[in-house]
Amino acid sequence: MATDVSNELERTDNLGPIVEAIDPRRLLLGLLGLAGFVGLWWFGSTLQPAYILPSPLAVAVTVQSEIASGTMQTALLDSVVHWLPGTVVGTTLGVAAGVALGWSRVLDEALTPVVRVLRPVPPLALIGFAIAWFGIGHAGAAFIIAIGAFWINFYAAYGGVEGVSDDLLDVARSLGVERQIGLVRAVVLPASLPEIMTGIRTGIGRCWMLVVAAEIFGAPGIGRQIFRSANSLQVDRVIAYILVLSVMFLLVDTAFRLLQRRVLSWR
Amino acid sequence: MAVGADANRVTVEDVSMVYDGSNGPVEALRAVSFDVEPGEFVTIVGPSGCGKTTLFRIIAGLQTPTEGAVRLDGDPIDGPGPELGIVFQEYHLFPWRTVAGNVGFGLEQTGMPTDQRRERVGELLELVGLEGFADSYPKDLSGGMKQRVALARALAPDPDLLLMDEPFGAVDAQTRTMLQAELLDIWEATGKTVLFVTHDIEEAVKLGDRVVVMDREPGRVQEVLDIDLERPRSRSDRAFGRYYEEILDRIG
Repeated sequence: MATDVSNELERTDNLGPIVEAIDPRRLLLGLLGLAGFVGLWWFGSTLQPAYILPSPLAVAVTVQSEIASGTMQTALLDSVVHWLPGTVVGTTLGVAAGVALGWSRVLDEALTPVVRVLRPVPPLALIGFAIAWFGIGHAGAAFIIAIGAFWINFYAAYGGVEGVSDDLLDVARSLGVERQIGLVRAVVLPASLPEIMTGIRTGIGRCWMLVVAAEIFGAPGIGRQIFRSANSLQVDRVIAYILVLSVMFLLVDTAFRLLQRRVLSWR
Repeated sequence: MAVGADANRVTVEDVSMVYDGSNGPVEALRAVSFDVEPGEFVTIVGPSGCGKTTLFRIIAGLQTPTEGAVRLDGDPIDGPGPELGIVFQEYHLFPWRTVAGNVGFGLEQTGMPTDQRRERVGELLELVGLEGFADSYPKDLSGGMKQRVALARALAPDPDLLLMDEPFGAVDAQTRTMLQAELLDIWEATGKTVLFVTHDIEEAVKLGDRVVVMDREPGRVQEVLDIDLERPRSRSDRAFGRYYEEILDRIG
């Protein structure tokens, strides 16, 4: 017995290091790819007038002046003011609805026609409602973003719950879980957490894209800055604010991926 | 919990199971009857397709028979619950819970205080030889260790009956022999009533006080055999071989 377990422990120890080291080869190749992209951009910009494609350097200068004037920070803060509540509310409702319909057959059968009708509506088509219900401003933009987050999370959670093994539910019942809500809490939610978290992560990214679209009707923020700059052919400003979106997406996505890896370390 | 002559006695009464197949009804079980005495170790053996897994699920309360009933302490089993400890071949551990979290799952449902629960989980881990693995996750365990966790988890709520469906079917031969011996030790230490399903005749003879031999088309009980051998039993023993051959003849 003792020897048996220690043998098995050795086998276990060989499963690989828990901490994933940064692969230097991958890092190098990534930096090379990025350098190549910027190089190509720079080369292309020498062949075109600045209002078609400004050089990376010109964009860097613009970023600097936008930060110096505080315009960029204000725009970013404005966008965050509708991005954050929109994402949080849409994600929460989407996960809740996905779990509910994924778990309850009655709800699923009753609401599937409603889902089929509403699902194909693009969030931007609801701008009229956003303005009518929430006005031109943060609340309206948050509404658009929430719709986008809702569906991604709805389907991720729904799929996750559908995939929960019946055997695990049987085991939980045989161990004394009697009520439906108990099964949801003790088995369904933790078992579908990987899918739910993938949905949240996808939703967060999509919501940054929706930030631009949601500001089309006048809410202040990064998207607003992009539209205004485009109208006056200030392409360097367009690119500068697109870069803000990229950086924000990268930061939030990386942070969430770290959280995901930590929460799902049991996998 | 009932105390008396019927305590922990399992009665399988005329259990029949008919499924609606695409080519008409399929008879999975026909009038299966047998008893398991309190504290007894009974094995059920039969070829694939003899309905033993269906029978297992019915006794576990996971499926309702078309006819007949299964009683525990005289009361019909009408669903899974903490009076029945279930161990599956595929372990079915909760992968998001640690070993201790898995073993303690059933105790949490009873509302047992945390320190008491921790103590009981510690005892159970010791019983199955997994002290020191309390904080490991299932993904880091071998098959044999996972099945020990599943066994400890099933024993935790102190069930009246331990039901096992081919529990050692997914581990290598060496681990299987070891787990069989451990299970017998645990059975003797706890005095649990055990019902153990297997397709392996050797395993059935090695473990059971009695062997329920099943046959197929339709799934039914061929005979119930008393194994009158001292434990530990060895395959090389001549009497063991006679039991083995007899069962093989019945279902071969």
